[in-house]
Amino acid sequence: MVSNGAILAGMGVGLEAVAAEVFRVKPATALPQAAKHDGDLAAQSDQLKKAIADVAVEMNQLAEKAGETSAEIFEALVMLLEDEELFETAVAEIESGWNAGTAFINAVETYAEIFAGDAAFEERLNDIRDLAKRVAASIAGISLGLELPKEGRFVIVGEDFSPADTAQFTDAVVGVITIQGGPTSHTAIICRSKSIPAVVSCSQASQLVDGMQVLVDPVGDRVVVGGQESDITKPISFVAKSNDPIIPVRANIGSLEDAVAASASAAEGVGLFRTELLYLSASTKPSRQAQAKSYAEILSAAPAGPIVVRTIDAGSDKPVPFLDMGHEENPALGVRGYRLIAQHRDFILDQLASLELARQESGREVWVMAPMIATAVEAIEFAKLAREAGEFRVGVMVETPSLVYEIPQLAGELDFISVGTNDLSQYLFASDRMNPALGAMLNPWQPALIRALQQIAENCSTAEIYSGVCGESASDPAFAVVLAGMGFHSVSSSRSQVGAVRTALSSLSVLEAQRVFEAALTGKNADEAKSAALKVLAEISAN
Amino acid sequence: MSTTKGEVTVLDPIGLHARPAGQIVKLVKESGLEVRMGKPGAELVKANSPLRMMAMKAKTGEVLSVEVDSDDEAVATALISQIQDFLKG
Repeated sequence: MVSNGAILAGMGVGLEAVAAEVFRVKPATALPQAAKHDGDLAAQSDQLKKAIADVAVEMNQLAEKAGETSAEIFEALVMLLEDEELFETAVAEIESGWNAGTAFINAVETYAEIFAGDAAFEERLNDIRDLAKRVAASIAGISLGLELPKEGRFVIVGEDFSPADTAQFTDAVVGVITIQGGPTSHTAIICRSKSIPAVVSCSQASQLVDGMQVLVDPVGDRVVVGGQESDITKPISFVAKSNDPIIPVRANIGSLEDAVAASASAAEGVGLFRTELLYLSASTKPSRQAQAKSYAEILSAAPAGPIVVRTIDAGSDKPVPFLDMGHEENPALGVRGYRLIAQHRDFILDQLASLELARQESGREVWVMAPMIATAVEAIEFAKLAREAGEFRVGVMVETPSLVYEIPQLAGELDFISVGTNDLSQYLFASDRMNPALGAMLNPWQPALIRALQQIAENCSTAEIYSGVCGESASDPAFAVVLAGMGFHSVSSSRSQVGAVRTALSSLSVLEAQRVFEAALTGKNADEAKSAALKVLAEISAN
Repeated sequence: MSTTKGEVTVLDPIGLHARPAGQIVKLVKESGLEVRMGKPGAELVKANSPLRMMAMKAKTGEVLSVEVDSDDEAVATALISQIQDFLKG
């Protein structure tokens, strides 16, 4: 039991704090054991039919709540749920004595055997197993849904929340705490978009129980038990002291819509144009003309300044339909990004050629870079391809730890590099970005990440290569100051953060940014590094 | 009732997976006709169950036989070409 005043450290999502009562989300009740029925076959199959219909209704409701992008997923699931053959298989199980719930689970398992070992189907199989559980739960009268209060104000506390869970958040959910999950978890993304204050990756939150009052204090990266408004950590209010930031702040974009929105922000050009979004929904490879047309529209709409375009960053976990990507045990460590060159050289050449056409048409300054480069040899090979394809400034992403040590070999070969801190963290800490239990490793204030970034900035400076940062960390105003203090030449932020980052970088001098960075270096862990940096920032802004 | 026979090729990069299987079953049910599909030489199965279609494990590039029971050959042919469309991924 935690007492009032206890501070539980986690990672904050959002800038607003909220104080409210804890509502612990109950772990789902266990399903009943497999069992036989009492002999009424017709009653069992009727019961199954009704449960399937009920779950189908439930899924359709979730589809409506979840919105357009997920609706197709739910629709496909309902078709599988209502599959006639699956039902007949279940009826055969009922005839051999199993009760309705057990029979349906068994029927699904017969398909599990057929699909086993087939990557494309296995994921769908988990979905069908989940449906079978829902059907069995419906028959047993157990609710698998989140039972959240509809009225009042509550901070909900759970392990982590799935898309199906977050679709059920009610208006009474004013704050969220997860025991697992990191800053890029589904929960964090949803809370950010709905402006719900949240603290994720808060392992001590397992001690919270219903009825406690807590303050969710995202700016302080903490939860305060019994906390009041007076305990809220104030975000440092940066006041711009000059018109220009000490280093340019660019925007991250992935579509025409993003480009238009970014040009309405204070962004100076684009620091990361993710091109894969143009391809993920295409079933056949778009022609050069079609690609050039899309690129020209986006380049023309982008905010004034250089536009850094990243060539396709796809892999077997993020497959492009018309590139046959197969299945991999470890997609994050597999054939992705520039590594696609071995099988899909034509595609990458097409992309560069289309970009050159678009560059000419739009008259914009285009920089191109390749993702997932692990060696200087690959970087030099890409630079050659890109220079042959068009008049670009040429660079690569630095996101593999190996490339950090190869930067000195790239002197005179590249015009620039851009650090992807999300993937660099994942590879540096051997911590899967998708694994909710490892969120704390991906905190940008981790001392080892700060030191790796320092080394990249120094190596680039010695090699006379322009260096930028385009990962999630560059969207945090305080961390952007640290990056400027290390010597990076530009940062690129998500477009909603461009203004805040720009203001932070306009509020101090380069020397002051260096002091903030040096303070961050004194931290022995992520929390210490952050608070040391914030302390110096507060002193500077008070002057 | 006569039977129209045809062939379709799986062009979808993931093979005959849930989405095309679902689309085909939906189409077949809406048509009210009996449609059978299968690998050449193997016994054809009724195309009214997405799971059974997926259980054929048809991979990209594989050719499948299609039979449609209908007296209207034009309808049957149109149905087969629609199925081919779903298999383009």
